[in-house]
Amino acid sequence: MINGSKPVVVGIADMKIISGGKIITYALGSCIGICLYDSKLKLAALVHIMLPLNMETGRKNPLKYADTGIRETLKAMQLKGAMKSRITAKAAGGAKMFEVSGKGSLGNIGQRNIESVHAILKMEGIRLLAEDVGGSVARTLTFDADTGQAIIQSYGKPLKTI
Amino acid sequence: MAMKVKNYDELSDIEIDTLREIGSIGTGNAATSLSQMLGCEVRITLPEVRIMGYNEAIDWIGGPEAITAGVLVGISGEINGIMLSVQPLEFVNLIMSHMLDKELTSYEQMEDLERSALIEIGNIMISTFINALSGLAGISVELSVPSMTVDMQGAILAVPMAEYGGQTDYLMTIGSNFMINNHKVPCRLLLSPDVRSLNYLLRKLGVEND
Repeated sequence: MINGSKPVVVGIADMKIISGGKIITYALGSCIGICLYDSKLKLAALVHIMLPLNMETGRKNPLKYADTGIRETLKAMQLKGAMKSRITAKAAGGAKMFEVSGKGSLGNIGQRNIESVHAILKMEGIRLLAEDVGGSVARTLTFDADTGQAIIQSYGKPLKTI
Repeated sequence: MAMKVKNYDELSDIEIDTLREIGSIGTGNAATSLSQMLGCEVRITLPEVRIMGYNEAIDWIGGPEAITAGVLVGISGEINGIMLSVQPLEFVNLIMSHMLDKELTSYEQMEDLERSALIEIGNIMISTFINALSGLAGISVELSVPSMTVDMQGAILAVPMAEYGGQTDYLMTIGSNFMINNHKVPCRLLLSPDVRSLNYLLRKLGVEND
């Protein structure tokens, strides 16, 4: 166990894997951070997705989307020895940052991301142990690969552990 | 002749210069209206056109977690886009001291009156910018009712990223900072058009698309 060391940072449309220690992604608004965890190996992945479904022709950036992002992450974990049947998930994000009147889908992306993450996890047979999603505030998500706990920080709110 | 739709990262120097000119006129007009509201001198710094990767954009705005106020207006009609007025506390306090004769040490002290003042300021600056733009390009656009949030700036900037994320891996912003009473105050006015609208806009502005 590494105590007090800096957490590994995951950017937007990005994913990283750690074995032990902590991993963090900042300021999830409508985006969702999904922590995938094999507790036996203390192997944790965090993927920061922005959109629900990958409909790009080239699929150059799979980690930007919930469907290809989660699947890519599961594959990468299995390459590191994780067993799919042991992998569990925790998720945070999917907020609506602005209330916008009028036409267009602006503001609905968070909700569509939540639905897509649920559907993909279910399809892949991954149990979603806990989540902190929706609402209207941004979240910074830290996952501890030693304990399997996720900590969520929002502006003007107490820390939340899931 | 079929015109190729150019993505943000494929723009020529002439096209970028044209957009910078739009930014200059738009923010210049917004500065004038801000000056009238505050009763003091407001000028703009060099207008910028930026085309950035997502994580680069977050670094550019000053990191993901800093708390800031953001006023957002949706643009629809002949062009679609999002316009944001990003207002750090220093800017908010300048507005507060001029309009309401008070200052805040944190956003948490903001009440309804202060929020309304900031929405109004953001809305007027955005509307002035867009009026200048639509006049220059000869296009008609509709603006949504302005919406405001106070939260981590990374999540605010991610709104236009996510909105156009299916079309591009880049965020394009046209905007500028402001100088108020000869003092540089960070307040960014950012226009993010979608890819198709950007191409339409450039054609309307008469820029050769090579």
